[in-house]
Amino acid sequence: MPFDARSDLLANKILTALPAADLERIRPKLERFEMTFGAILNTPNQIAEHIYFPDSGIISLLGTLGEGSNLEISIVSSEGAIPLCPFLGTPSSPVRSLVQGDGIAHRIKTADFLDECRASPELTRMLLHFTRSLMLQISQCAVCFRFHKIEERLARWLLMSADRMESNEFLTTQKTLSHMLGVRREGVTKAASHLQKLEIIKYSRGRIQILDRPQLEAASCACYAILAKQM
Amino acid sequence: MPLGTVLYESGDKMSHVYFPTTAIISLLYIMENGGTAEIGIAGNNGLIGMALYMGGETTSSRAIVQRGGDAVRMKAADLRAEFARGGLFQDLLLRYTQSLMTQISQTAVCNRLHTIQQQLCRWLLINHDQLPADKLVMTHDLIANMLGVRREGVSQAAGRLQELGVIKYSRGTIYIVDRKGIESVACECYQVVSNEYDRLLGEYMRKNLPDPIAHISASVRQRTVKEKAFT
Repeated sequence: MPFDARSDLLANKILTALPAADLERIRPKLERFEMTFGAILNTPNQIAEHIYFPDSGIISLLGTLGEGSNLEISIVSSEGAIPLCPFLGTPSSPVRSLVQGDGIAHRIKTADFLDECRASPELTRMLLHFTRSLMLQISQCAVCFRFHKIEERLARWLLMSADRMESNEFLTTQKTLSHMLGVRREGVTKAASHLQKLEIIKYSRGRIQILDRPQLEAASCACYAILAKQM
Repeated sequence: MPLGTVLYESGDKMSHVYFPTTAIISLLYIMENGGTAEIGIAGNNGLIGMALYMGGETTSSRAIVQRGGDAVRMKAADLRAEFARGGLFQDLLLRYTQSLMTQISQTAVCNRLHTIQQQLCRWLLINHDQLPADKLVMTHDLIANMLGVRREGVSQAAGRLQELGVIKYSRGTIYIVDRKGIESVACECYQVVSNEYDRLLGEYMRKNLPDPIAHISASVRQRTVKEKAFT
């Protein structure tokens, strides 16, 4: 049954920052959408039917290579909207969007979204701003892949996820982590065990718990602080 | 200004947007420790100063001349005004934004998953697309900085490509001998970036607009000056 979008709370930072008149016009076109772990919101070269504005939860943007090879290049939560491709002028995206942490989004049909972009300079301005911050995140990711060790990158990923989930405890699997970090499972296991031995995190049965946040920040590469400052 | 001239330093306030006509500009991401890695390349297929229409004034990467040549440049305020008018100019800039985002994403993926030799091939192919001839003036040191790898790694990879007879390297100049051969050694990343560019902008490029700035207003066109400073 469709949810009554007008009655539930919006927490997406783009939508809630719109001028009242713009938001009023957009609201009836929004549909509440429950994002569950593992759901795929859009796949490469498929026409994007909806644009998602997360209120909570995490979406991973995965760069794809051939069949089944995915690598996380950025994460998006309530600060953004995905996919951006229709806004940038093309109906399909080259990346895959995967729900990485349960949450709620409000989604809008692509055609309606484009009408609203034309009608609201403020929406356009905020989407441009978000596009820019996403590009910075992807750039940071490119150098992080190049220069930083698995353990540093794992620590960064855990911190970024915890910030967006607003929780020190969340679900994930080693397989997911290996995709996210672009390394073999053994590499993830080794890095996670080391952080566990230092009592910085606790990992059991798909649940990760951050025990010592300052130490986790110290274990992370500089990319975390750079990206956190920019947000 | 010869090869290696810095057009913008990371964090600089930008006064102009540059549209290279024959120059090639490399976008380098600067690490906290001073290490660098190239995240994108702009030749006559692109521009430098994207942040100006995306709501920023400063650049997050270093823009450095990788091949001497010309550009036309436009004042920041003019660019913003033209962008705000919407229409074809805005459409092109947004499409180019998406294409650069794909280039950066693919660089990230490539950095993580592919060998230096494959990365070198990707890099040579992207550059070759921008070149009027089959030669590129470039030292191994500079390539190492671009790719964010050690010089020895570049020399080894270039040596193997030379043994395969696909490039020839002599006194700071790389000759593209067998482009098809380079393509067969390269990873798929080049093709992904190239296809995406074609999908987004190929239609416009095939129109062969006689003047790259023909579609902007006459007053701004007069103020948009040819920049020879790169040579």
